[in-house]
Amino acid sequence: MNRRSLLAAVLATSTALPLLAASPARAEMDINQAAAFIESTGKELVATLNSNQPIAARRQRVAQILRTAVDVDGVGRFILGRWWRVATPQEQQEYMKLFEETLIRNLSARFGEYQGVRFSLGRAQQRTEDDVLVNTIIERPNTAPFSLDWRVSDVNGRPQVVDVIAEGTSLRLTQRSEYSSVISRSGGQVSALLDAMRRQIAALAAREGR
Amino acid sequence: MFSFRRPTLLLLGLLALSACATRPPASEPEAVEEYEQANDPLEPFNRTMYTVHNGIDTVLLRPAAEFYRFFLPQPVRTGVRNALLNLRSPVILMNDVLQGETRRSATTLARFLMNSTFGIGGLFDVAKEVGLPGHTEDFGQTLAVWGLGEGPFLFIPVLGPSNPRDLAGFGVDIAADPLTWAINDGDSTAEALGWTRYGLTVVDTREGLIEALDSINETSLDPYATLRSAYRQHRQNDIRNGRPAGEAPAATLGTGLEATEPTAAPAR
Repeated sequence: MNRRSLLAAVLATSTALPLLAASPARAEMDINQAAAFIESTGKELVATLNSNQPIAARRQRVAQILRTAVDVDGVGRFILGRWWRVATPQEQQEYMKLFEETLIRNLSARFGEYQGVRFSLGRAQQRTEDDVLVNTIIERPNTAPFSLDWRVSDVNGRPQVVDVIAEGTSLRLTQRSEYSSVISRSGGQVSALLDAMRRQIAALAAREGR
Repeated sequence: MFSFRRPTLLLLGLLALSACATRPPASEPEAVEEYEQANDPLEPFNRTMYTVHNGIDTVLLRPAAEFYRFFLPQPVRTGVRNALLNLRSPVILMNDVLQGETRRSATTLARFLMNSTFGIGGLFDVAKEVGLPGHTEDFGQTLAVWGLGEGPFLFIPVLGPSNPRDLAGFGVDIAADPLTWAINDGDSTAEALGWTRYGLTVVDTREGLIEALDSINETSLDPYATLRSAYRQHRQNDIRNGRPAGEAPAATLGTGLEATEPTAAPAR
């Protein structure tokens, strides 16, 4: 039974939103502010997912929401981890671009699956002074509801999502493992990861066209 | 998933023969840290086993799960899932008790009694409706609560991600399950029912994983690494019964009466 819930967790994180992060946030995060932020962002996202605009328009809107709501730079850097310093400046730049694209495409390739998605806010709890964990329950038609926790930090004066956690599985940790493994197995070449990301984005774009 | 003895011996033999992942030199502390975090010194062997598993999964497990989903309607599958969980109750209860979780033990016992009777042999989860949702527990988790480390990561075909501690726990749970002994009493009907239960467990588990595994295989650049990381994090969460990391396990081996009020995080 454990494998099932484990994978439910992975499914939740990997399909629900590859949003992750760590950043040098310092300011204190207020628990109510974090909850309100997740609620308003969630509403916007759900409204976009459920709208009947053309896919391209919805993708653009989702991209906008993600750029505002997620600490994309911080998360991207956290995930690349120790390889960030190995990468050349050009590779770093290319990586950030591909990372953001992956984030957006992963969601837009699944617009169909998210038709009718709803969410409700659960309990929020202070984790450290810097971040708050906000719980949500995600419901999709014909699918068992599942719980996702959003780690919210103060990044440059405003709340942003820095990680998504499903049943104790942190998405940014899982993805760091994945990316690092790709690089290690190619003899420490960051370019190998970039190639793999490009192929993945192309596959997601093709899927979106279907 | 079962009939485990011979494959396990074979595995141990292969383990002894297989190459190990190379530990990075001490001059690269970050690489060493990553190596230790992945906890996978047997990675080459594990990746081979992962490939073997994928072969079995492609030709057997996933098609069986698809078949099961196609031919049985959702309410029937839910009933099967409920019944399987109910049959596991004695093992879950044993582990609740061994972990000193008084409240969870009581829940498991109450659920078993209610669901076996009003729930018609466990087909209906009536206990959940009255506010007693189920949970699982296994001897691997009990060993962890007792302070035993997990050992190196292992990938076992059919069984999936694991480690020596969880694998040993898996064996103990089978040995401790009263039904294991009931089916081995020489009565062929009981034996057939026992094997049916094992078969259904495999199919039901895989059916519940169809979307999750498809999604990993589609989106991960290295599904093996993703599964490894997710399994280990998720196990940690299960071992803590969902409590945040760093919080003291509530009244472990104590009375368990404080179980719902986690005490302050101890200094590490």
